[in-house]
Amino acid sequence: MTDVVAKLQTLVPEVTLLVGAVLAALLGLSRRKQVRDAVPWVTIATLLAAMVAVPFFNQLDGTTAAGLLMPMLGGTFKLGILAVAVLLCLLTVGLVDRRLEQAFATGRAPFDAMRTIRGEFYAFFLLSITGLSLVCSARDLVWLFLALELTSLPTYIMVALSRGSRRAQEAAVKYFFLGAMASAVFLYGFALLYGATGTLVLTDMRGTFALQASTGGVSNLAVIGMILTVLGLCFKIAAAPMHFYAADVYEGAAAPVTAFLAFVPKAAGMLALMLLLGTMGWSGHSMIVDSIGFRQPIEGLPQPVVTVLWMIATLTMTLGNVGALLQRSVKRMLAYSSIAHSGYMLIGIIAGPTTGLAAVLFYLFAYGIMNTAAFAVLAGLERRGEEIESLDDLAGLRQRHPGMSVVMALAAGSLMGLPPLLGFWGKLYLFIAGVQAGHVPLVVIAAVNSAIAAWYYLRLVGLPILSRPSPQSETIGNGLSVWPRVAGVLGAVGVIVLPLLLRPMFDTAALAVSGYAKADSPTAPAGTLAAKALASESLASEALASEQESAD
Amino acid sequence: MTSLSLHAASLAAMASDQASAAVPAAVAAPQLAWAGWILWLPLLSTIACCLCAAFRVRGKAPAVITVAALAGSFALTLALYGKVQHGPVRIHLFDWIDLSWGSGAGINSLTANFALYIDSLTLIWMLFVTPLGTLIALYASEYMEGDLPARGGRGYARFFAGVSIFLFAMGSLVMADNLVMLYLGWEGVGFASYLLIGYYYTRPSAVYAAKKAFIMNRIGDLGLAAGIWLIWLNFGTVEYEGLFQALAQAGSDESVGGWSVKAIPFLLMLGAFGKSAQLPLYVWLPDAMEGPTPVSALIHAATMVTAGVYLVARMYPAFLLHELALPTVAWVGGLTALLAATIGMAQYDIKRIMAYSTVSQLGYMFMGLGVMTSFGAVYHVFTHAFFKAVLFLTCGAIMHGFAGQLDLRKLSGLRRLPGWKITAWTMFVGCLCLAGVPGSSGYFSKDAILAQAFVTPTPDGAWSFRLLGWLALFTAGLTAYYTFRVWFRVCAGPVHFEAGDEHHGADHEPAHQAGHAGHDAHGGHDHGGDFHPHAPRLAINFVLVALAVGAVLAAIPYFWPAYGDGWIQQMVSHSSAAAGVPSHGAEGAASAAGEHGGSHATLLGFDPHTAMYVVSSVFGLVGIGFAAWLHLLNRKAADALRARLLANPLTRWLPTAMENKWYVDELYIAAIRKPLWFCGHLFALFDRYIIDGVLVDGTARLPKALGRLFQPLQSGALQGYAVTMAGGIGLILAWVVWVWMRGMAL
Repeated sequence: MTDVVAKLQTLVPEVTLLVGAVLAALLGLSRRKQVRDAVPWVTIATLLAAMVAVPFFNQLDGTTAAGLLMPMLGGTFKLGILAVAVLLCLLTVGLVDRRLEQAFATGRAPFDAMRTIRGEFYAFFLLSITGLSLVCSARDLVWLFLALELTSLPTYIMVALSRGSRRAQEAAVKYFFLGAMASAVFLYGFALLYGATGTLVLTDMRGTFALQASTGGVSNLAVIGMILTVLGLCFKIAAAPMHFYAADVYEGAAAPVTAFLAFVPKAAGMLALMLLLGTMGWSGHSMIVDSIGFRQPIEGLPQPVVTVLWMIATLTMTLGNVGALLQRSVKRMLAYSSIAHSGYMLIGIIAGPTTGLAAVLFYLFAYGIMNTAAFAVLAGLERRGEEIESLDDLAGLRQRHPGMSVVMALAAGSLMGLPPLLGFWGKLYLFIAGVQAGHVPLVVIAAVNSAIAAWYYLRLVGLPILSRPSPQSETIGNGLSVWPRVAGVLGAVGVIVLPLLLRPMFDTAALAVSGYAKADSPTAPAGTLAAKALASESLASEALASEQESAD
Repeated sequence: MTSLSLHAASLAAMASDQASAAVPAAVAAPQLAWAGWILWLPLLSTIACCLCAAFRVRGKAPAVITVAALAGSFALTLALYGKVQHGPVRIHLFDWIDLSWGSGAGINSLTANFALYIDSLTLIWMLFVTPLGTLIALYASEYMEGDLPARGGRGYARFFAGVSIFLFAMGSLVMADNLVMLYLGWEGVGFASYLLIGYYYTRPSAVYAAKKAFIMNRIGDLGLAAGIWLIWLNFGTVEYEGLFQALAQAGSDESVGGWSVKAIPFLLMLGAFGKSAQLPLYVWLPDAMEGPTPVSALIHAATMVTAGVYLVARMYPAFLLHELALPTVAWVGGLTALLAATIGMAQYDIKRIMAYSTVSQLGYMFMGLGVMTSFGAVYHVFTHAFFKAVLFLTCGAIMHGFAGQLDLRKLSGLRRLPGWKITAWTMFVGCLCLAGVPGSSGYFSKDAILAQAFVTPTPDGAWSFRLLGWLALFTAGLTAYYTFRVWFRVCAGPVHFEAGDEHHGADHEPAHQAGHAGHDAHGGHDHGGDFHPHAPRLAINFVLVALAVGAVLAAIPYFWPAYGDGWIQQMVSHSSAAAGVPSHGAEGAASAAGEHGGSHATLLGFDPHTAMYVVSSVFGLVGIGFAAWLHLLNRKAADALRARLLANPLTRWLPTAMENKWYVDELYIAAIRKPLWFCGHLFALFDRYIIDGVLVDGTARLPKALGRLFQPLQSGALQGYAVTMAGGIGLILAWVVWVWMRGMAL
């Protein structure tokens, strides 16, 4: 009994979000405009309330989350998720159902509770965040699958609702069918994993795999299962070969929803990858060369899984960046860039605990902020009621919208990885993790890709600030709602200011995955800062000792 | 308690010093962390001045803040001197750079913390940098009035922000505990100098001068940076503490000496020559006079330009790594002194004359370092800081009062003008010191260098130090001549002046009523009587007097507390600047007592240190005599002499070349700037057509072509996407199975 209560207590943030979702759905049906207008703020209040609840109900000592593969993940990363969600929600204020609300307001159409979509939209927004939040504390495969679907299903509807146009509906249908296919693939993978281990609980799977690894290697069934799972999850993170939907769907949806799609499902997919690969474990970053000459990690991920991840990471980065080069539409460009960023993050996934996974978490947070800022510029400006989309719209933005042009430049600079900005540190952290884990070629590929990416990101920096206004950009005005622009400014400020808090953020990210590493090797977790400090200290003491000997 | 324990430690260090002839080991002194405020105060003042500029403060707040902060720094320096005396102590402020990489035997580290290394050399420098900074900031508070926002100016706060950041950088340079922090300060003072030379940024000549100074310094800084890198490469540390130990070992170890070690002193030298305006990099300093005069006095005469001397003195042990390093320093210094003096003789702009005299005097300092009297060099830095500051500030007062007039042919008889007495007579004191008139501070410090040139035996392979000594003596005569040429022309003689072309307008007039008193009485030939020179007021006069007194009193540390072993001598002999100077103090004492053996060098048959008092007096007085004849008693004779030299085809080149600064600028333009300009344009064309055209655009086409290759996959049809995704999954699975079948390790 107490177990159930304790378990439920850890879910208080999610329950808060659920209550908020119900509330939003109800309030959105109100006849009174004021009440309907309050819905986004109810959503934000819910998110903030959940944020406050996280530290109270997800103790970092791991006692409340015993039995989880990564017990500290919930208490730390949920905060990052909710913070980005607040920003994403600001982005939607007054945008999603603009036409409908305008029609109601001007009296062109009578209020119709069946037609209004505000309640649904924000309810689904919160439900999707709930799903993402639940992924963090997934205990078994069923939970993980349900949480992932809870994250994704609302997004299909959000895409359809986001614009009254056919393009959005087409995008939603594509997204839904392909998403269903991907879910089928990873569900099949789950089934194989269950077949190979006989358990659904992640920690038990880890024990089984460790046993298998010590007695002749992980079973082939599990390897195939894991590969299928990874491939299926590639859809969520928009990685090759499951990335094809991204450009069409991102372009079809309204900019605030696109920003949402680029963060929430991606975060869910990355967390799921971390948990699932964690069952096989990365333990022992040092590699040995086996009899046939293959480099094999000791007791780590099976070589085929690593190779598949390598291939996925390389393809994703390259296809994403190369695809982005050709685009004239900023949204499509950012869609491809989102694909490429998944590729970068996979480096951290391959590198494993603690640095690699911490780098992924940090990068997800950073990406959420800088990507939201970039989309905020598209969402915050409009031409004749349509959000701006093409590169020509951005040209010479400085002349009439200096603030937004700076936000776009900062966001693009950060996405590119320009040194003092947030994105640079995220990328650096990922690359360091990759190098430490011995995946130097992958890091080199990523660096080359970053250079290619600079080509199109620099256009996003240069066009608004340096170039002359184009005929299209002359007709651009501020959007109806000021809040998307506020979100953009907040994001841009974050991109500049957050690097000042690098150390605490890195430490928090490392803490989030430290529970796994502790279980991994009880003495000194390899790859952590503490371990490095230990190692260098022992080196220094050895050097001292040898000096003393020679002196004697 | 603390100072007692420090004394004990430094005494112990001294004892070991005499045994090993190495630089004494430093004591960590965390209890002296308050010394960091010597740096933080100017830094805070910089921030405050910037805020004043941002919020458009109209009053003199920036000046008040700066003067207060610098005075605070001075007070703290005095307190630090009281605690430390000779040092050396290390005061850790905060971790800055602390890296280590590699493992086992190949472990490398680079540690450069923000820490202070306080020894007697540091203290000497800080003891003249901070008070001079304070006084000159005070002077500037009045001098820069025209730029107050209340008078339509815009740069008052900017000026004081520049002065404050300069003092911060100079403090970091001098008090640094490692070469990286020294480099930070080194670049910092260069940056402040750039800002302040270009202070009147609407004037093209000022912008040009600022760029010239910056670029010339870059050349030197490159040498310094390379030198620091080689030091780290060879000795594995950039912290003085470890470095001096390593250098002491290297000195006794003959096997040390690859080219990368031998090159270190020459690279450091290049940095020092750039910063201290020596041949061949001296040309920026005279142009730097485009900045406001207090800046010229503070940065380009008293403090920043002595950073090169400081570097050589601080890194003295490194200059023993190559036997020809110090002779090179000596000869470059001596030749610079001579060249600059000859140019200074023929200039008409009094501020420029002072600039060339600064170059010349810096040459003396380097010569002193080169002939192994680091004491003489440091003492000359010390005295020079005071008397040159006086000279510059009097020039500034004249420029300020006469609307930018600096031509010595258009100014005369200032000492008879009401309100200008203090200026004229403080300038006289400065001239006495610069000319090396017997009894003045400059006389003693210069003699210490000159005499040593005759004492130190010339190393093998170097040009004779005795020849250098005679050259320097001749230069001393020239110095006396051009110094008093200025004073006799400007301050003595009949009253006569013309205004410069910088009419400040009516806004200055009310503030200078004092200067106008008696204006109608004087017999000046001002243009139509519409120009009123405004005499300096309280702040300027106070600073002038204070500095003149300082310049006179600067002679005292030569004698006190003991003759031949004065305060400066004691201070220098306890620092790294004494390394390699064999029992310096003892030799000085011995020479004073006349106990030299027969093998010792002589000057005209006498002991050089004794004889120099007489010989240099003679040279100095002869120079002053010439100046008095040509520029006071018979001014027509000077013009006649020049005319006669110009008339004779054999001698025509002499005055022409001297007046045109030996065409060095033109030479540099022809030999360096023009070829670089040509290369630059060539590279620009290369960049435009080959790099941009072929490489960049060509490379960019590749990913684009790749993108087009994959574009058909992105058809937009749902079925197509589903098939492609399934195909992708299928391919990957097929690959896995294929590898499996081939029996490879999975």
